[in-house]
Amino acid sequence: MLIREPGAPNWVTRPWYDRLFGATARDLLGRSLLLLFSIVTSLVIVGILVLLLVEALPAFVTLGSGIFGPIWNPNQNQFGIAVFIAGTLWVSSFAILLAVPLGVGGALFLSEYCPSRLRLPLRMIMELMAAIPSIVYGLWALKTLVPALRSAFQPLIGYYSGFGVLAGAIILAVMLLPTIVAVSEDAMRMVPDTLREASYALGASRSETARRVVLSGALPGIGAAVLLSLGRAIGETMAVLMVTGNSLVFPVSIFDQTYVMTSALANQLGYALADPLYRSALFSVALVLLLISVMFTLLAKVTIRWGMRRQGLRR
Amino acid sequence: MKSVNASRKSRSGLRLPRSRREFLDWMTYVSLGFVTVLLTVPFFAIIFDMVVKGLAGLTPTLITESIRNLGREGGIRNAIVGSIELVAIASAVALPVSIGAAVYTTEYSRQGRLQQIVELSADILAGVPSIVFGAFGYVFFVWLLKPWTGGATLLSGALTLSLMMIPTVLRTSQESLRAVPITLREASLAVGATRWSTTWRVTLRACFPAIVTGILLAIARIAGETAPLIWTTGYNSDAPWSIFDAVASLPFTIYTFAMSPDPVVNAKAYSTSIVLILMVLSVDVMANWASRRVGILVRKG
Repeated sequence: MLIREPGAPNWVTRPWYDRLFGATARDLLGRSLLLLFSIVTSLVIVGILVLLLVEALPAFVTLGSGIFGPIWNPNQNQFGIAVFIAGTLWVSSFAILLAVPLGVGGALFLSEYCPSRLRLPLRMIMELMAAIPSIVYGLWALKTLVPALRSAFQPLIGYYSGFGVLAGAIILAVMLLPTIVAVSEDAMRMVPDTLREASYALGASRSETARRVVLSGALPGIGAAVLLSLGRAIGETMAVLMVTGNSLVFPVSIFDQTYVMTSALANQLGYALADPLYRSALFSVALVLLLISVMFTLLAKVTIRWGMRRQGLRR
Repeated sequence: MKSVNASRKSRSGLRLPRSRREFLDWMTYVSLGFVTVLLTVPFFAIIFDMVVKGLAGLTPTLITESIRNLGREGGIRNAIVGSIELVAIASAVALPVSIGAAVYTTEYSRQGRLQQIVELSADILAGVPSIVFGAFGYVFFVWLLKPWTGGATLLSGALTLSLMMIPTVLRTSQESLRAVPITLREASLAVGATRWSTTWRVTLRACFPAIVTGILLAIARIAGETAPLIWTTGYNSDAPWSIFDAVASLPFTIYTFAMSPDPVVNAKAYSTSIVLILMVLSVDVMANWASRRVGILVRKG
């Protein structure tokens, strides 16, 4: 309510919407609109889940457990999505194996050792790396990394195209590193300085403090970083699509080509429309992807809560 | 504090180790430093690659002409305009909804069930793979809503992207609204303002730069997304004239250029990448600038 000159008419100072509805009505109207928006935002994920379930249902009904079979051959009505799940598991787990030790090591250096002069530029580079779109990583991997891998390993193992699990895992690890470093460094800096001081006072060296005190104190945060990046690794599409070779075999070594779940969707979705079973099988791939990502998000949330409880106990 | 820092400093440095423990300490320092340097190598390798292979193609015609002859001739004007339009329409849809939801959950609703549901669903949505958004958009916007969206069009693609913006904008807006001191709201309510005017004229105004930061980060994220657009936007060799036209986007254009067997077109993928990176980074720089403005506002009180 605005203060009026005595004698000035109402409409001089009251805004038009006040005159139209009156302040209380406007408050109520705006409030219900905002409530509607809140409900809409929470319905998005429900809508996605329901639609994918409906689309995937025919495949589950027709094929039963055969949907998790190992052979994917749409021309002969064989729709086993296990080959994609195996591909995703191989590529993501190797990416995590590469990225987590390096990322946590980098974070440890940044939070415990790095001179502040160097810290700022290093963090900036990490931020820039996180901002580079995945298609650009894919382009670089396709045109530079894959040929490099080919010329590095061809003399050792015989014919090797460069495409496959290894290339996918490396480029995925590069894309995950900025997140892992940023999240775990934040967790390490949250470890109170008093703990470090106590450790030094007991005569521990700097590396002992970093390993035994900081690393274990930041464990929940690092766990959350790993879980979040696992979720991202499984969902990453373009870069992996361009370098894994997309061949429908179960990978047995890191030099094998493979076909991941996201690539199946990106490559085949548009061609599957005519055949309802084909399309439904692809949507069951999408459903599995969605469920895995939801699971990792929830796990990460639980881990963060665990960490907060741990810190609460400590303080 | 000072003495601790001083003692820490004396432990570091490249003094020759005198015992096994000191040697281990020194080794940890060196190897962690090496790892950190290693982490930055891909960044410089990628930037170097882009500059070496793409700078030559970065001519004025790249931006002023649309694609011709599958990328062998012409530029990428259609993709630049398409990307900007996609992002603009996605923002126009997503921003009111997600900021509105953030305002409702922080300013109106009590701590409770609804707030938890909104936050949890936003967090889950943030972790959903982009290709799943693409699959959803393909079924929902392109096929189920075909009479209204016209199939694979600018509108379908933008709506798919708008779903991806919701969690980022919602969560950052919530955080910035919560950072506004309660005293500001109390002062406004005490002079007789309704909660509505307090929200719009006091609270939102106080945290405006912080919200802008979140918006820009969300824009930078979706501008580089390829996967949701593969099956939802169609393809257009010209800039679209209406929201019911098919549209080309920068990321997808890079993909087609990169997969082309023609080296001339491959080189264009690098030039297009430079354009995309510059666009994304300039949005990021703006976001940084906006977030620094928050600092200034807070310090002034």
